[in-house]
Amino acid sequence: MSVQLLLTILLGGVAALDATPVAQTLLSQPLVTGTLLAAIWGDWRTALEVAIVLQLLAASTVPVGARTPADYAVGGVVGVGTALVLNAGRPFPFTQDACALLGVLVGLVTATVGSAPLKWQRRLNEGLARWCEERLRLGDERALAAAQRAAVVLAFAVGVGYCAVCLGVAVVGLRELAGAESLKLAQAWRLAQPLWLGLGLAQILHAFVQRRLTRVAVFGAALIAAWLVSVVGSP
Amino acid sequence: MARVSGSDLARVAARTPLLQATWNYERQQGLGWAWCFAPVLERLYPDAAVRRQRLAEHTAYFNTQPTLASLALGAVANLEEQRAAGLTPEDDGVARVKTVLGSALAALGDRLFWFTLRPFAACLGVLLALGGSWTGAVALWVCYNAVHLTLRYRGVAWGYRQGPAVLGQGLRERLERMVRSLSLLGAALVGVVVAALLVPGGEPQSLTFQATLAGGLALGLLTAQHARPSPTQHALGVGALCLAAVWFR
Repeated sequence: MSVQLLLTILLGGVAALDATPVAQTLLSQPLVTGTLLAAIWGDWRTALEVAIVLQLLAASTVPVGARTPADYAVGGVVGVGTALVLNAGRPFPFTQDACALLGVLVGLVTATVGSAPLKWQRRLNEGLARWCEERLRLGDERALAAAQRAAVVLAFAVGVGYCAVCLGVAVVGLRELAGAESLKLAQAWRLAQPLWLGLGLAQILHAFVQRRLTRVAVFGAALIAAWLVSVVGSP
Repeated sequence: MARVSGSDLARVAARTPLLQATWNYERQQGLGWAWCFAPVLERLYPDAAVRRQRLAEHTAYFNTQPTLASLALGAVANLEEQRAAGLTPEDDGVARVKTVLGSALAALGDRLFWFTLRPFAACLGVLLALGGSWTGAVALWVCYNAVHLTLRYRGVAWGYRQGPAVLGQGLRERLERMVRSLSLLGAALVGVVVAALLVPGGEPQSLTFQATLAGGLALGLLTAQHARPSPTQHALGVGALCLAAVWFR
């Protein structure tokens, strides 16, 4: 358990790195981190249910220009991690649903609040940049590499710290609720899950369609064709 | 006359993943740009004082889509080579080309990567993950990085060969065509995902599920018309409403 928790928190740091400071390979996307957490915790159903919802909502959050977007990198890890920790040792499907609901909500709150530590980190980078320019003026070319290293360490530390705090607060605060009110929470999940999936898919569809009727027609045709294949194609 | 070699360009490409490491509100990618560009300056300016001056100038404000920044790095390496050889008459020519390329690449790159390829890869991943498979995450990662890593690592050499005209008609048209094709395929993919949610494995979901999914789609299409509140805030509101509906029923 403690090794799994440690790996979860470290993954939060890695995701925070991948999101902006290093590489941007989408390793930080909730579906990827959620799948890794599923392998770490051995609970595929809970992890993927939460990861899919968060992934669809994350896909329409874009890091354009100077905007600080919601932090779905750490939010995804904390959301899936919370659901997995709360569900550990609970065998019933309805408790899985209850934990999935809490996981998605915690993930969304973590992502929303997460823009604050990101802004703080970027302000610290301003100081780092000024220090580096000063050192360059004094003839120290190595300052550039030192600034890059410091920024990477800072981003990892902020990611790990924020992930640990959010995961700790969520698990301690929600453990009782997940046990005592699992039936009500499971009912709420059955209502909220399709709404969230629809909301995320519509945002993505809107980005693809861009008010072009041809693309709306392609969407409709693909939906009907896939629906027919699913219904008629199965015995 | 010193010339930028293939190994210098490879070193620049190897540094591009850290372009945004020191991203900040003042200079944005400025410091990261200077870090990536340093191997070119080391080659072109053996005099340490001149090199440091050029390095300091390259820490100025710069921002673009991070993947396509590779093309700008290559193009500016070409221009810096001409400047070092005394072929570029104006001192601020490099800075002007950086500004123009940054804006043009951002406009195209944001549409290609953030508004098209990333949602497309996400949909593909979700479609596969709906069956409970790990392959969804792999598909998402591979689909995105097939384009992202190719452009990131090969883009520096392409940019160097083309120079400031790197975003000429040829490349721009190819990337625009990719945006259009992915948008069309993406619209079809969303349709397939919706069908997979309605009839998973050939078994229709309950009417309640189908109705709430349709409600979510309608709500999403309505809210997508406005940037604020964000989809995340809408999702939080939906979650709170569902909890309230169950609790106070």
